[in-house]
Amino acid sequence: MVRVTADAPGRDRMTSIVRNQWYVAAYGREIGREVFGRTICGESILFWRREDGTVTAMSDRCVHRRFPLSEKPSHLVGDTVVCGYHGFTYDADGKCVAVPGQTRVPRTARLKSYPVVEQDSFVWVFIGDDDRSDSVPIPRAPWLDQEGYTTVSGMEPLAARASLLVDNLMDLSHETYLHGGYIGTPEVANTPITTEVDEDAQVVYVSRHMDDADCPPFYAKSTGIQGRIVRWQDIEFHPPCLYLLHSRVAPVGVLPDEDGSDPGGFHVEVVYAITPETEHSTHDFWAVARDFALEDEGVSDFLRESNRTVVLQDVVALDALERVLAGEPDGYQELSINIDTGGLAARRIIAAQAAAGAEQVPDSPATLASR
Amino acid sequence: MAPTRVLDGDRVTRVAWLPGSDRLLGECSCGSRAEGGDPIGMWEWLLAHPDHPAQVTEPDAGTPVDHVPPPHRVLRPEQAAGPRTPLR
Repeated sequence: MVRVTADAPGRDRMTSIVRNQWYVAAYGREIGREVFGRTICGESILFWRREDGTVTAMSDRCVHRRFPLSEKPSHLVGDTVVCGYHGFTYDADGKCVAVPGQTRVPRTARLKSYPVVEQDSFVWVFIGDDDRSDSVPIPRAPWLDQEGYTTVSGMEPLAARASLLVDNLMDLSHETYLHGGYIGTPEVANTPITTEVDEDAQVVYVSRHMDDADCPPFYAKSTGIQGRIVRWQDIEFHPPCLYLLHSRVAPVGVLPDEDGSDPGGFHVEVVYAITPETEHSTHDFWAVARDFALEDEGVSDFLRESNRTVVLQDVVALDALERVLAGEPDGYQELSINIDTGGLAARRIIAAQAAAGAEQVPDSPATLASR
Repeated sequence: MAPTRVLDGDRVTRVAWLPGSDRLLGECSCGSRAEGGDPIGMWEWLLAHPDHPAQVTEPDAGTPVDHVPPPHRVLRPEQAAGPRTPLR
């Protein structure tokens, strides 16, 4: 059964990036006592660590002649960043504290400063109106930085708009490395896939809970489980950025305890952070955490290679898809079928978030300079 | 087919699907349930809360049997597929 859906007219002419939200900008390990630049949601941002170890973020363009502060020979001096072109110097709040050749620092000599939170091995940055950052919660993935879990992670650049990656990750026929095919294993015939949407929490949840299934060789080898298993595969998507895939296996009949603890279960947590770079490119952060075989380098290598392989396959496919979509005339037709149930729910929430978060395009430096 | 219930908020909608089956089972937070043939019709029906229509709109409703699709237009060179070398 198919349904043809006409896309919203003018979609490509409006920004599709959801503003007034938190986005993963980097892994904590990428940011140190050196200048680091990355474009997030179309904004050029500079990241660095203060001497006390906390991360700060500000515009990556010198107010003088727009030189990128992340480019050599720009460098840090204590808790200031010195522009490599003429030496304009900014403090950790983005305020210019010294300019060459004079003592007066112009009042507009200041970089936009961004709210930053370092949590769960990520550096999160707020894109939008700073005053709204406190009212928007940051979704959690605590196992990425927690005792009892071993994590492998990376990031791949994607030359495609973020919505294509969301569609891809919510697509039920998308093969996950964990079990050689989300659809098509013997238990499929008896296991419904349930898509749930919590309007208040703005979460899309897609769950597949098998009470009695074959144990794939990978799990049998790494967990030591013999015989059949209970398998839960749950997607938990917090639009627009954080995607979690919970995978739980345990011997048949072994369920979590009443109090929520789960000593009998083995867990793999796959995490993606979908962060737009521009309207047509995305930072594809990926991580896999597990609470078993913690010291086993072989399991780490397998999970790292498997996940990276799958991510790269998606990157190749989505890069190609972006090329054919870019510049299409309005009103192109799509078909949606049952596998798209979760993806359509995610699109709707993101569209509502985009409308709620929409604001005027931020002032350009040229506008500010003329005041 | 009973949907899995993981989320426990006040405004949770659910759609259950047996892979390979043509039917979806939708459940609104108000308790209303309906069956449908595709997710477009199903989400429309669910989002109509509290005024759920009697039926979910079925796919292909209104599409003529002899539907003729339009061509898919290509505007820019980078959208054009195929080898980019001359054929000799």
